[in-house]
Amino acid sequence: MRGVLLFLAPRLLRALIAVWLVSTVVFVVMRLSGDPVPLLLPPDAPRSEIFRVRRELGLDQPLPVQYGVFLANVLRGDFGRSIHFREPAFSVVRGYLGATVELGLTSFLLAALVAVPVGLLSAVKRNSPIDHAAMGVALVGQSAPTFFLGILFILLLSLKADLFPTGGRGDWKHLVLPALTLGAFAMASIARLTRSAVLEVLRADYIRTARAKGVAEWIVVAKHTLKNAALPIVTITGLQFGTLLGGAVVTETVFAWPGIGRLAIQSIYNRDYPVVQCAVFLSAVVFIVINFAIDLLYGFLDPRARP
Amino acid sequence: MVQVTRRELLTGAAALGAAATVPGARTRPASAQTTPKPELVVAQGGDVSKFDPHFSTSSNDIRVSFNLFDNLVSRYPDGKLHPGLATDWKLQGSTQWTFKIRPGVKWHTGDPFTAADAKWSLERTWDPKIGTRVSTVFTTIDRIEVLDPSTLVIHTKKPDPLLPARLAFYGGQIVPQKYIEKVGNDEFNAKPVGTGPVRFVSWTKDDKLVLEANPDYWGGKIEAERVVFRSIPETAPRIAALLKGEVDVITQLPPDQGERVTGNPSTRVVGALYAGLYVLAVNSKRPPLDNPLVKQALSLAIDRNAIVKELWRGRGIVPTGPIAKGDNHFDTTLAPLAYDPREARERLKKGGYKGEEVVIETTVGYTANDKPMSEAIQGMWRDVGINAKVEVVEYSVRAQKNRDKSFKGLWWSDPTSTLGDPDGMMWRLLSPGGPQDYWRHPRFDELGEAARFSVDEKFRGQAYREMTKIFLEHLPWVPVIQPYEDYGLQKHVEWTPNPNQQFEIRRFNLRFRRA
Repeated sequence: MRGVLLFLAPRLLRALIAVWLVSTVVFVVMRLSGDPVPLLLPPDAPRSEIFRVRRELGLDQPLPVQYGVFLANVLRGDFGRSIHFREPAFSVVRGYLGATVELGLTSFLLAALVAVPVGLLSAVKRNSPIDHAAMGVALVGQSAPTFFLGILFILLLSLKADLFPTGGRGDWKHLVLPALTLGAFAMASIARLTRSAVLEVLRADYIRTARAKGVAEWIVVAKHTLKNAALPIVTITGLQFGTLLGGAVVTETVFAWPGIGRLAIQSIYNRDYPVVQCAVFLSAVVFIVINFAIDLLYGFLDPRARP
Repeated sequence: MVQVTRRELLTGAAALGAAATVPGARTRPASAQTTPKPELVVAQGGDVSKFDPHFSTSSNDIRVSFNLFDNLVSRYPDGKLHPGLATDWKLQGSTQWTFKIRPGVKWHTGDPFTAADAKWSLERTWDPKIGTRVSTVFTTIDRIEVLDPSTLVIHTKKPDPLLPARLAFYGGQIVPQKYIEKVGNDEFNAKPVGTGPVRFVSWTKDDKLVLEANPDYWGGKIEAERVVFRSIPETAPRIAALLKGEVDVITQLPPDQGERVTGNPSTRVVGALYAGLYVLAVNSKRPPLDNPLVKQALSLAIDRNAIVKELWRGRGIVPTGPIAKGDNHFDTTLAPLAYDPREARERLKKGGYKGEEVVIETTVGYTANDKPMSEAIQGMWRDVGINAKVEVVEYSVRAQKNRDKSFKGLWWSDPTSTLGDPDGMMWRLLSPGGPQDYWRHPRFDELGEAARFSVDEKFRGQAYREMTKIFLEHLPWVPVIQPYEDYGLQKHVEWTPNPNQQFEIRRFNLRFRRA
């Protein structure tokens, strides 16, 4: 029990500090970036009107005071009211969470379920045509800009082939193109990393020993190799998961998907401080929780990493 | 949780077919199915943000709020004022306007609409306790009287020739006193109630807004049973959605994409000449832009016809001065602004220009083509020896500079003629204390002030002609183009765009052509 605490406590503390730092940075950067009031009022609004609205939003207070109010409210779970939507920021962000999780989870599953087997196959059949084809596609997937890929899918698979809708949220058909677009990068990088991790293990002495003992090749791969190659694969997969859940601005914008990434970027344009703060805060929490989970998984996978 | 319920509701409705959501149609599904097109789907470049019409002036919101609500006076796509919630109005003396209120109009809740609602609604716009975003629209109003439930009298502080026009634009949407007093401003913003041709059903942010036809609308029930607004921010997917038939109307169709829509057998392009101009506004306090001769040279060096032809594919016209075509007092005898590079060089020499830097601070996509036009104009200016430079600024930085009046030289502005009149455009922006007050001229100021408070249209016409002459000498703006604002449309939808970004779906302006 003590051991577990010793393992958890510093990590938890670090996570909390990270969340605090992220929210502080966002708070400062948003305020450096400009004033929301001119965007809210008609261009010919007089100065008195601008000052009145600044007062109404609490923006006339000195920065440290605003920061104190912000921290105190966040501790109570209150992110303030959205300037743009005139409702609580948290309820705005919550309205986007469903769509984000739906898309993020689908692309993640798509990416992981395709990429790990492909990477494994590539490594085992190194330098075969399968390997070359798979890694070629992966290279394209990793280097093609999301924007280009999305528009390409819309033009080919939606407009020309008439297989899927062009965008928006709805049934599973609406999910296919954005999930493919968003998952492409993750898929490619997981496949490439899986391949190199597996290759490295395949060169290890214990694999040569296993083979020399006459262990069947599939057992060598499934038991000895995969287990030892799992560490980097879990790491990259977990990080990709965090990225996918954190919202995908470009994919969401191209496919008119009502996700949190698009909300965040629009709120930045609108200088909607409370919504940006809330969205970034939640994304940071998701990221940190996933990192935390990976840490725990490490201990499970690799006894050397246990406390 | 409300969001989820709404979504479930939507999914259910979609599964049953749109017609099934209409009460009454449920009992007669066969006849409902023969309705050729019960739904109008509109895709715009950004989503709605608020439904309370007194809290937003953004065009994405206006397209919706002018259909949920009515104004006393209505500006039709023909640019003229027509009766709205007021059937008739007349000026008595020079400051007293009497409005006859339309009888028998009901709010979406079923409550009757009266003159008292109109008074309460207009007074709400400037009520400091509410703090609306349109508190400056009706500053000319002194007081409002309800003579009886069907007569409203508005007294202005000074003669205000444009009062009916003001009532027709933002701030003038009439909101329900009883409902708002009962549920409060936040709930009203979340579940708006108006008198307009459509009623609010549901909204999922950045996904879709669903409205349904108001069966009791005084102007006749509209032809669509449901109207859906979707937000598709990127141009290419927005066009793809139109070409594929997923949406019926798209807004903000860029001029270079028109051919894709026209080339498709089932879609077409409609445009309205923008009720305003795209101008390079000038910080006339900064040398060398304080020198009229230099500014004249800047204007003469711009080949506007080339800009219209190359960057706008012909979807625009060359302005003649500070007044947009289609506005009151637009002078049809004036020639389009001239292109004369030789004369431009002459005036630079005469003005003693010594190669000082002239900066255009351009946004990217704040107005259509702003950056390409900046680059083209930079080239044209360099050709006549002007040391021109283009700097890119972000939209909110532009908003900030606009407020601080800290522009380095020239910047893009798209003055909208909110009232269909030079007063609502050139004088609103360029008057002393106005948002673009960088240049003063005593005679110009005297005429602008006099025309604002005169109900004698002949006098106003003369004043604006003289102001135009002064303007063309001093150029507080360098007008560049009056563009068309284009929309993509399914061919079976008959609809005419409104020059001032209203989106008119009332019965007189929306028809589905039966196959």
